[in-house]
Amino acid sequence: MARGSAHSQPSTSSATSRPGVMAPRGSAAATAGMRRRRVTGSSGTGSASVGSSGAGSNMLRFYTDDAPGLKISPTVVLVMSLCFIGFVTALHVFGKLYRHKSAA
Amino acid sequence: MGGGFRVLHLVRPFLSFLPEVQSADRKVPFREKVIYTVISLFIFLVCSQLPLYGIHSTTGADPFYWMRVILASNRGTVMELGITPIVTSGLVMQLLAGSKIIEVDNNVREDRALLNGAQKLLGILIAVGEAVAYVLSGMYGSVSQLGVGNAILIIIQLCFAGIIVICLDELLQKGYGLGSGISLFIATNICENIIWKAFSPTTINSGRGAEFEGAVIALFHLLITRTDKVRALREAFYRQNLPNVTNLLATVLIFLIVIYFQGFRVVLPVRSKNARGQQGSYPIKLFYTSNMPIILQSALVSNLYFISQLLYRRYSGNFFVNLLGKWKESEYSGGQFVPVGGLAYYITAPSSLADMAANPFHALFYLVFMLSACALFSKTWIEVSGSSARDVAKQLKEQQMVMPGHREANLQKELNRYIPTAAAFGGMCIGALTVLADFMGAIGSGTGILLAVTIIYQYFETFEKERASELGFFGF
Repeated sequence: MARGSAHSQPSTSSATSRPGVMAPRGSAAATAGMRRRRVTGSSGTGSASVGSSGAGSNMLRFYTDDAPGLKISPTVVLVMSLCFIGFVTALHVFGKLYRHKSAA
Repeated sequence: MGGGFRVLHLVRPFLSFLPEVQSADRKVPFREKVIYTVISLFIFLVCSQLPLYGIHSTTGADPFYWMRVILASNRGTVMELGITPIVTSGLVMQLLAGSKIIEVDNNVREDRALLNGAQKLLGILIAVGEAVAYVLSGMYGSVSQLGVGNAILIIIQLCFAGIIVICLDELLQKGYGLGSGISLFIATNICENIIWKAFSPTTINSGRGAEFEGAVIALFHLLITRTDKVRALREAFYRQNLPNVTNLLATVLIFLIVIYFQGFRVVLPVRSKNARGQQGSYPIKLFYTSNMPIILQSALVSNLYFISQLLYRRYSGNFFVNLLGKWKESEYSGGQFVPVGGLAYYITAPSSLADMAANPFHALFYLVFMLSACALFSKTWIEVSGSSARDVAKQLKEQQMVMPGHREANLQKELNRYIPTAAAFGGMCIGALTVLADFMGAIGSGTGILLAVTIIYQYFETFEKERASELGFFGF
């Protein structure tokens, strides 16, 4: 992990860079996680350090690496959610129309 | 490893059906992350306003009232279940893995995938189970009233909403967004609540003419309409049944206090063994476990409430049931049950300072309970979550870091001087702040405020870090 950061900021005796490096640990305990995930926002320091700190990872690395499964892209998730919202709204609309008809 | 039956392997057949968000194969730019986060949040907010189709009524007692704050759920809407499925399944899996009931070898890729799948599967199952239980228990009107078709539709809506929340959380987790979905949703729900209580334009007729629900709006309304300005002010500050200005000020105060305390930390100097001259520091925060103690504490309390309420409704005569808790319908919010006796009463915050003066024993018991529960949960949490002194020492060792002036073997001992203390004391502080918030009557309960502030603070940190890393990227 330390090496990971050394990539981007070579040999600065940096008290400033350190909290950034260590933060995954502190915030890992924090990240309102009921679960542990290391790669919270797997960019920057995180992704650079995955290799070196593999074994040092927490015992519960939920949702970090790819599992076999129904692969969907993030756009699909968002579209799916919007479709769901649309579906429920449509149900409401049709429900109203139907009730009107049956009442009339 | 091999031999023998492993519980985890039961999940394998289902693995290929579980939805799985692709990991980002490139670095997602900061701007894009913000966009993903905002869209997810938008979806969540719409879902938590959109009423379920087919429900008959949502009146009557709400046994989950106490859990709603931390579970980001809204009654009668598509988000009825909120994040309950994920949180519950996460908690269960973590406890199972932590107590070695299911064995997981973290170095085996397949194990991690299985555990991951197991958690998701459990989440979906919990969503299905809860949806069915909600409908069958007649929370939306009895099944015969709803009709079978509608009942099935409700179950489908709730399940699908659960799956969507799981997917959104995973989307944010996997690096497309900022922070985690769970914390984002909790914080949003609480903030929404606070803003609503402050500025709500709804009028409520409570016998003294129409009153505005929102504290700030009510203040101006009272000041303008009443002729006696002093009495109007007093009314706005101290009215009992609706959110008042004192509550709002207390909320703000708690926000500030928590943010101030977030900065408290012990900084241990560490030095790299092979790269000479590279020095750093390992900060141990006062709030080492952040908001975990209160999440766990409130999960415990709300489960206890739930069980106690159910038992009390069935067997109110039983001595032991009464010992656990006696419940009475609240005068203010219709249909809400409040504890008036037994254990449930003593672990509930006193409703006001006057109430506290009237029942000093209750206040004391509550204080002791909160402090000890939070400290205890905080200490267990570091063990379960792998942030105890041993784990940190191991991690530092892997990175070839040593503490100057200490032998390598001493590292753990040295860390042990700080980490458990920080955890226990930090947990206690969190507990104390929660109690303080409750006593001052902060809006949205002490637990809620504390959760919101710590989550927002974490977001702030992530934000800064992202920005810094982005700048560093271009700067070099």
